[in-house]
Amino acid sequence: MAVQADPRLVAELETYGAQDVLKCYHCGNCTAVCPFSKEPFIFPRKSMRYLQMGLRDKLKANLEPWLCYYCGECSEQCPREAEPGETMMSMRRWLTAQYDFTGISNLLYRSWYAELAGILIIAALTGLGFWKFGSSVGDIHVYDGPRAFLPTMAIHHFDWIMGSVLGALLLINCLRMWWMTMGRDKRIGATPAMYANRAWLILLHFFTQKRYSECDKKAPWRLHIFLMLSYVSMLVLIMFFLPLMQAGPEINWAVHALGYAATAGLLVTVAMALWGRMKKSQTHYKHSHETDWIYLIMLFYVGTTGILQHALHRFGLPYQANVVYLAHLMGVVPMLVLEVPFSKWAHMCYRPLAMYFSQVQMDAIAEREKSALALPGTQSA
Amino acid sequence: MKEARIGVYFCTRSSGSTKILDFKALAAYAGKLPQVVEVKNLGVAPALDPLVLAKELTQKRLTAVVIGADSPGYFKTAFTRALALAGADPEAVRLASFRQHGSGFGEPTERAKAVLMCAVLDVPYAMAAERGSTPVHPDTLVIGGGIAGIQAALEIADAGKKVYLVERTPTIGGHMAMFDKTFPTLDCAACILTPKMVAVDQHEMIELMTWSEVEGVSGTPGAFKVKVRKKARYVDLDACVACNDCSAICPQSTTSEFDSGIATRKAIYLPFPQAIPNAFVVDAANCTYLQSGGTKCGACLKKCAKEAIHFDDKDEIVEIEVGNIILATGYEVFDASRIERYGYGRLPNVVTALEFERLTNASGPTGGNIVMKTQKTNKKTKQQEWVFDPEGPRPRSVAIIHCVGSRDRSYNPYCSRVCCMYSLKFAHLVKEKLHDAKCYEFYIDMRAFGKGYEEFFERIKEEGIHVVRGRSAKIRQDGETLILRGEDIVDDKILEFPVDMVILAVGLEPDGGTRDMAGLLGLPLDEAGWFEENDYNCDPTGTARGGVYVAGTCQGPKDIPDTVAQASAVAASVLKTIMSSRGQESAGDITLANIETRARHLAGI
Repeated sequence: MAVQADPRLVAELETYGAQDVLKCYHCGNCTAVCPFSKEPFIFPRKSMRYLQMGLRDKLKANLEPWLCYYCGECSEQCPREAEPGETMMSMRRWLTAQYDFTGISNLLYRSWYAELAGILIIAALTGLGFWKFGSSVGDIHVYDGPRAFLPTMAIHHFDWIMGSVLGALLLINCLRMWWMTMGRDKRIGATPAMYANRAWLILLHFFTQKRYSECDKKAPWRLHIFLMLSYVSMLVLIMFFLPLMQAGPEINWAVHALGYAATAGLLVTVAMALWGRMKKSQTHYKHSHETDWIYLIMLFYVGTTGILQHALHRFGLPYQANVVYLAHLMGVVPMLVLEVPFSKWAHMCYRPLAMYFSQVQMDAIAEREKSALALPGTQSA
Repeated sequence: MKEARIGVYFCTRSSGSTKILDFKALAAYAGKLPQVVEVKNLGVAPALDPLVLAKELTQKRLTAVVIGADSPGYFKTAFTRALALAGADPEAVRLASFRQHGSGFGEPTERAKAVLMCAVLDVPYAMAAERGSTPVHPDTLVIGGGIAGIQAALEIADAGKKVYLVERTPTIGGHMAMFDKTFPTLDCAACILTPKMVAVDQHEMIELMTWSEVEGVSGTPGAFKVKVRKKARYVDLDACVACNDCSAICPQSTTSEFDSGIATRKAIYLPFPQAIPNAFVVDAANCTYLQSGGTKCGACLKKCAKEAIHFDDKDEIVEIEVGNIILATGYEVFDASRIERYGYGRLPNVVTALEFERLTNASGPTGGNIVMKTQKTNKKTKQQEWVFDPEGPRPRSVAIIHCVGSRDRSYNPYCSRVCCMYSLKFAHLVKEKLHDAKCYEFYIDMRAFGKGYEEFFERIKEEGIHVVRGRSAKIRQDGETLILRGEDIVDDKILEFPVDMVILAVGLEPDGGTRDMAGLLGLPLDEAGWFEENDYNCDPTGTARGGVYVAGTCQGPKDIPDTVAQASAVAASVLKTIMSSRGQESAGDITLANIETRARHLAGI
């Protein structure tokens, strides 16, 4: 099969935030200092090579960007200041856009205006919709019970509808990821048994981010897992326990204790990440893409308005609580709609999947080697 | 012929002239030059489209183009095509290279104006900006007694002209004296160098001043007055017969500079047996007698049968008059401990190239045995020390890492030119002396550029040396062995090699005294801190200062053949001025008006 080289690939990646790719002279320093680089997945130099040579298909099938946690070791030690770490980051953005079949991701990553416009339009539609709905079923001065402006069960159902739609989109993108990285290439030779044997890895990597913890620097992993766990706890609470969370002015410690902890965790970690990016305190904070800012700012906004509407409700200010609740929804909906299937949020799925797929690939390679050895006459080769 | 219509185009880049030149003033000046009808600044790193340019050229009816830039040749192709498309003479592109010309003359914008004006008038800059001439004193000063200084001094002295050779250390010879073999011929370095050193010592036209430093330079090109401080040696050069009695009895030891720190010497010492002048010297900082003000020790004083030791010796200032000064101050090697991940200074068997030179040198501390460092108890301090013991264990595997401190933006961005080749030489020496040892070379690009170098590389590969493309990145100790981690970029594999010894191919840096010397002589340094030559292509030995020349590595990294060639070239330049009694003035003495008058004259305007 002829290999197609695309000379515009570097320029394309630059629109996703890649910098200085062409400076790389392939000394292999980055790969050697990388704590994650293990055969057969050695990076980042090889990926830099694919980029420089314009090997689009190879790059599309590449799992390596997802195996990188951007500890920044490679960029710090690079003799050419070619920023391999940032290149891996931009490749993750690019891959997210490749996996997405709608093309929306591509638009959001490459145009900051498009992203802003998307947020504003969805926020406006959400606000308008809930305002209309709230006014028709209830009263803005009532928070819960009959005549509630935003009835808990209605929101609960809305959450599930939105969750299903976004989940379906994300699932399609995940399947596309599988096809690009695993399914398409028959030479990988992964069997269903291999997939089944390793499936538990998805959950392991999702919840523990074990791999991140293997970085030489531990602080970024701690921040990241804390942020992720807070976020996921909040998500679980909202999706499954929303009626309990919203009920009555009295505190239901069974769910609220976790809710408070998760909110605090979310706000503190997001604030720290924002501060770090502003101060460029670490290598992985040195270059911030617009989407990095938007994701963090949205998270912070959603977290603050969420806890504020809750507090206002508890303090017996239903009108104010409803207004903030509306503002909260106007942040949550665009954030989830744009981020879950199309942008940064999706990495929560792609990363554990990539680690799972990479292990399956390794199993397949081991299997191939075993059978090659079993063939007579090939031992000496 | 029709009147020419010239367009002047500036193309800048994000570094270099863009930052220092006043393009507004430059454009205003260019607009007043004859035949110039269009001046335009195309901005930083413009992407030039010949079609668009051609349109513009046709519109303005331009017949010739002048490109003003740091490297105008870079933009030439686009203009050539544009001129052809516009139906004009495609050859009518003239280049005004701000970087290349006249680095030492005047304020940068004034200089750029001169370069631009010469391009517009189609006069070679070097012809228009000719320096004035001065009478020349026939004596020459050579600063630095390495192979460059020795070669230049001998060439001039052999022509019958007087040379002062000033050397900072107690002996001439420089770095080359420390080397075991030269590449690619594998000749014995000392066998080439020491006869030259002796020739310097015995030459009636050379006045050798070792253990001396240049303190001040005054006067003008052709008639310099130089102050040289002859440091107190405490040993009478003429009386000392280098019998070694003093050194044998001296109780004070310190690390030997000549052995690159891998062996010790006494406080009264001869740097190496073939040192020139072949006389001992006292290291005042380590001498008990001098440090105690004459109340303690003095053992050597009693022992010396020739009564050659004089502790009342004082520094002496000598004033000399010379017509020309040749700088041959050399280099120093990169401090490998700056790269922490290689562990130099922390891991005992990670050594630098110069240390290995001494280790493998037959006259070195191990008699040329390549051994690993072993732990020994220092009898005096009772402490455990890592030392090279001639009887120590031989390494079974040696790795050589290229580009240590070179081609690295965190340290030195330039290529040091010699490391690839000396690393290949080391590999050969390891294989020659330790037949069973494995030897690995880790490199980024193999720069075997000289005559016979590529063939040497081929030969090394045939000798069974493992050449790995990919610079290794980390060294860690694992028990007795060192584990070297790197990427083989040809095979896309991560390698972890256990080896016994690692040699770091450290790059070259300007000598520590270069900056002071430049200040003393009013010379410009280039970005990396080397002395800047007058013109990289046409006058690589001259400098912006009239009567001051550069030879060898003080101008930039180079190997021995290139150094010797440049030193001989310098001698020719100097002899030219002595023979004709006319030398060059400093480039700073030419004014824009001078150049303009001359250029107009040459252009026939």
